[in-house]
Amino acid sequence: MAQGFKSTRKGITASFTPEEAELMIKLFNDVALALEPEQGDDEDPLAALVGIKENTEAPTDPALARMLPVASDDPEVADEFRRYTEINLRQQKIAHLKMAAMDLQTGHLTLDAEHASAWAKALNDVRLTLGARLNITSEADAAQVGEKVDWKQIDSVEDYMAFVYNFVSWVQDTLMEAMLSEIETDR
Amino acid sequence: MSVAPDEALDLREETDTLQAPDTPWQVIVWNDPVNLMSYVTYVFRTYFGFGQEKAQKLMMAVHTEGKAVVFTGSREEAETHTNAMHGWGLWATFERAE
Repeated sequence: MAQGFKSTRKGITASFTPEEAELMIKLFNDVALALEPEQGDDEDPLAALVGIKENTEAPTDPALARMLPVASDDPEVADEFRRYTEINLRQQKIAHLKMAAMDLQTGHLTLDAEHASAWAKALNDVRLTLGARLNITSEADAAQVGEKVDWKQIDSVEDYMAFVYNFVSWVQDTLMEAMLSEIETDR
Repeated sequence: MSVAPDEALDLREETDTLQAPDTPWQVIVWNDPVNLMSYVTYVFRTYFGFGQEKAQKLMMAVHTEGKAVVFTGSREEAETHTNAMHGWGLWATFERAE
């Protein structure tokens, strides 16, 4: 069984079994892959290189739409914002996900502030993706998914995804409590 | 030395156009059923540097009222903060303050 994150004198630590680490590496890599900027025919490679996106439509995939949200209810403002920020936002997220996946080459983690912050964001993007796949659109949906915590009661792909979502939620919550407690000690 | 105009000038038109760019912009964080309360509190505390009480209060406002204004200021700053919130995975928008 995993030991969630704890704040210690050496840093923020956690231990995961090989199966748990393997699962999380897969989740981090899958989300990173989904975030790779698409190479559409209408994209100017030179513009993309400097982080400018030609196609300013919001992603149609619900998970990507949630991770790269519409920034304004004024379509013109939203398009301009996306044009200059989306490629960079995708790259930042991919970097955090890859950093977290690399850290999991060992199941015993000790994270400094930079890695802890990358983990917090990476776990959050995994949860946003799973939440979109599980169609969690209300607090009631979230509560229903939250009940799937018993391994023995899993009998569908959706149940398994809900179980994974709850595992990742637990991991992230222990990390956030550890990170919050470090702010308290700093003061 | 200079001479003052003979009569009061009508500045209404001028000041209207001059004031528009000064209207503050705001960043709104919207509720979503996935982000954890501990996570949202952490982001408010570390990114905006809010104290425990203020961060907690804003997080609860997002949770119970569906949204909260987390920043008011220039458009440039509002865009920077919106972008940062998206980096943290929070659902944020920016708009001209009413």
